Amino acid sequence: MSAIIKTTNLTKVYGNQTSVDHLSMSVKQGEIYGFLGRNGAGKTTTIRMLLGLIKPTIGEIEIFGENLFKNQKEILRRIGSMVEVPGFYENLTAKENLLINSKIMGIYKKNAIEEALEIVGLQDETKKLVGKYSLGMKQRLGIARALVHYPEVLILDEPTNGLDPIGIKEMRRLIKLLAEERNITILISSHILSEIEQLADTMGIIHGGKLLEEVTFDDLRKRNRRYIEFQVSNDNKAVMLLEKHFNIFDYEAHDDGNIRVYSYLGQRGKMNKLFVQNDIEVFKITMSEDKLEDYFTNLVGGGTIG
Amino acid sequence: MVNLLYTELLKLKRSKMFLISILGSVVAPFMVVVASYVHMKTENPAQLITFDEIFYETNLYTVLIIGVPLYGVITAYLFGREYLEDTLKNLLTIPVSRISYIMSKLVILFMWIMLLTLVSWGLTLFLGILGQFEGLSTLLIVEYLGRFIAGGVLVFILSTPIVLVAVVMKNYVPTIILTIVITLINVMSANSEHRALFPWAAAGDIANGTLQPTYPAEISYTIIFITSIIGFIVANVYFKKVDIH
Repeated sequence: MSAIIKTTNLTKVYGNQTSVDHLSMSVKQGEIYGFLGRNGAGKTTTIRMLLGLIKPTIGEIEIFGENLFKNQKEILRRIGSMVEVPGFYENLTAKENLLINSKIMGIYKKNAIEEALEIVGLQDETKKLVGKYSLGMKQRLGIARALVHYPEVLILDEPTNGLDPIGIKEMRRLIKLLAEERNITILISSHILSEIEQLADTMGIIHGGKLLEEVTFDDLRKRNRRYIEFQVSNDNKAVMLLEKHFNIFDYEAHDDGNIRVYSYLGQRGKMNKLFVQNDIEVFKITMSEDKLEDYFTNLVGGGTIG
Repeated sequence: MVNLLYTELLKLKRSKMFLISILGSVVAPFMVVVASYVHMKTENPAQLITFDEIFYETNLYTVLIIGVPLYGVITAYLFGREYLEDTLKNLLTIPVSRISYIMSKLVILFMWIMLLTLVSWGLTLFLGILGQFEGLSTLLIVEYLGRFIAGGVLVFILSTPIVLVAVVMKNYVPTIILTIVITLINVMSANSEHRALFPWAAAGDIANGTLQPTYPAEISYTIIFITSIIGFIVANVYFKKVDIH
């Protein structure tokens, strides 16, 4: 899949403080990219740079294969965004607020506003002024506003901030729906690991302005699955025995005779016995303890995310 | 640009600021005409106050005393609300170019000032007719319409430094303080022969045809022009470069 959003060495320095430090990220077409980091890690600064609101000190941003700062107007027209808590003209209704976006963007499709409001479930709130909306309603209206021009990419900065558990669940459902039904590439930031875990296909972890890791959840789950690791004298023979006697195919053979077995973990004693009976020396048997949260804690150097 | 102007007007829908500004523009004509009427009828019936005088005084107060803070508040509202209501980040990512954003606000500000100027002029005329002040003629009406408009245009031209403060400070308060300071200087320099050097006071003199002979008129025009251009350029350069947080 090609990268829709790509940053290279993106850096933002304020005085002595480096908010974003040589950040190179890549968001692929059609995926939900979770941008995870603790408060103050540099997520919002990065997102604001992607949207042209903040100018990078150094670094490049390519969106749709083009340099953002050379063709900002055309690129931003293809993006919908919601940065932190969305601001609205509180003396206007939801429709009037969306009309402002539609008029400026030159959207003449009939019912575009109604359609956007319907997606977020605000189609019946036509007369209520936005000033009277709850935070959850404003967040949903923010999504509607980001969608009104049928964007190809959606950039959402902490869209669940301040929402109650039902609101968070509703927002999650909405984001998944948009990715599946409209095939929109979504970049979503959060400081909550579980949020990102439940939504994203790929995750970028930012800490102290640096992108520590960019990994797909498939890889991550695999990496963080519990496993037994054997170190044996003959790994080829060992895996053949595993396949033949335990019907195990969910394993990885690494260097130096290391084999990671991801299933039938309770059978490790029998596996050991089988190896020994077949003249395979077993040098080491270890059980992995890593879990996802521990992985993050280790990555960001202590403390917890969120 | 037309769509941008339409949206700027839409943002004013149900806005109390519009009504408040109309009330503000009513103050000068009401104060001048009613005070003149009361003075004429009660304190000194022999002294005749003409239409020319009430037009002159209303325009004087509008440009020098009421106009600067009133239009300053409108300027602060137009530019400041996008920060206070946190809507600027949305506008700039739609995207609206930063120069178009400033220009559309300035056009709305101009229309707003002109509307209030016409309200002020029209109310002076209406109240003057009600009070049966003497000396009304078509020529006088047209002449003062021109002077009111000239006053409004000059105050608008001088709004760019106020725009600059609104954009830099992102808040109503510093902008309003600046307009109060300008008004105080206008009042303090009212009897000074050097007032033509202060752009806002010079604007009042130009609008009312009372420029002092101390300095050539070109000096006042140049000072007004330079003040405006500097305000405009610095506001645009600053806004084009500033990060939006």
